[in-house]
Amino acid sequence: MSERFKYREDREAYSAARVRALEALLIKKGIITDRTVDTVLEFFETKMGPFNGAKIVARAWVDPAFKERLVADTPKAIAELDLPDGMAGAEGEHMRAVANAPGVHNLIICTLCSCYPWPVLGLPPYWYKDPTFRSRAAREPRAVLAEFGLPISEDVEVKVWDSSAQIRWFVVPERPAGTEGLSETELEALVTPEAMMGVAVANAA
Amino acid sequence: MKLQHYLGGLEGLGPVSIETRVFVEPWETRIFAIHTAMMALSAQLPLPQTPSAFNTIWTWADLRKGAESLNPFDYFKYRYYEKWLGGISGYFIDHGYITAEELDALTEEYYQHPSKPLPSAGAAAIDDRVVEYLVEGDSPARDVLVTAEFSVGDMVRIENVPSVEHTRLPGFLRNRTGIVETVYPGAYTYLCDTGPDGIGPAMTVYCVRFDPNDLWPGNAEPNFSLYADLYARYVASADVSVSVEAA
Repeated sequence: MSERFKYREDREAYSAARVRALEALLIKKGIITDRTVDTVLEFFETKMGPFNGAKIVARAWVDPAFKERLVADTPKAIAELDLPDGMAGAEGEHMRAVANAPGVHNLIICTLCSCYPWPVLGLPPYWYKDPTFRSRAAREPRAVLAEFGLPISEDVEVKVWDSSAQIRWFVVPERPAGTEGLSETELEALVTPEAMMGVAVANAA
Repeated sequence: MKLQHYLGGLEGLGPVSIETRVFVEPWETRIFAIHTAMMALSAQLPLPQTPSAFNTIWTWADLRKGAESLNPFDYFKYRYYEKWLGGISGYFIDHGYITAEELDALTEEYYQHPSKPLPSAGAAAIDDRVVEYLVEGDSPARDVLVTAEFSVGDMVRIENVPSVEHTRLPGFLRNRTGIVETVYPGAYTYLCDTGPDGIGPAMTVYCVRFDPNDLWPGNAEPNFSLYADLYARYVASADVSVSVEAA
């Protein structure tokens, strides 16, 4: 039984060799090309990523009417912005934004797997995929948020959204105080993936 | 009952991981991209044919089935992309695209010579389709007329459907009651037919609000609500359970 709890000593080197062998075989057998893997990775570096979400949130901060439209019909509002093609693409076909407000804090989870809004946020960080996070956030979100360094007082309502069907959720955090003089581009830099999933808030730099 | 379906609310797990990286080892990027390419080249998508030899179906449902069928100890033991590597390698072997022997042999070769280059080959049309998939997506919305049985504000009871290899019903919601928060317009399929679990055909999806004190009586935090998106198959009238209990 103790074998079950042991890892190979060369755990990472073995996985690295195995995935390289798999990629090589898939190229050799004509399933993918020698450019496929890099093509996908470049797409997530340049087209789909949290840089899009940051633009959406910054616009919502400077334009309250846009923020209302974003929450009411998320895909339609996103389509107003000058973002790369694919904002309703893979894992973003049906997105829904929820906005934090005084007295309301939103947290996005996926207890069954790791559903995440790729076009606007890119790929999920490890904390989001962690079985412990997924288990605990459903019953004790405040305890979990406190571990992230975000104490939420009991007079603030916490809304936890479990992504179990077609919708991919994200949070519009509140605009931090003291940012009145910042441009939209400067505001984008304050928006993190963690703030757009609700385990952090946006802070003035 | 599969533990993986019942993660929500599990106790005694200790602190959460606060790792904000998407990938913690460089090899993880490769298996992520292989999975994404498989989804893009999957046979059921209405995208242009390519010279790729991939001619079967691979969706999130296949990846999720693999993770849900693991021994629960292994599910917790292995890191996210380790599970992907196991599931995806197994799929290519099971479907006859590669053999376990050639994968083992080549693994050994790359283990001994990590910088040995990858082969060079492939038609550009394959990568064009991969990008097309990422841009177009694969919406589960279907142009089918369905009538939503419930309206916003209705109290509903969550079905306890037969437990099969794969589900989109979080276990902690089975048999619980909640209030419909949203009736999503339109009808939505799932990536596969889950058999007696009941999703796959186009149907309504609801967002349902649950009171955590109903989910975990006396053991939930105050002033919070839990919302879940649930296919209509999982959502029943709350009255039925009341009348059955009364009878």
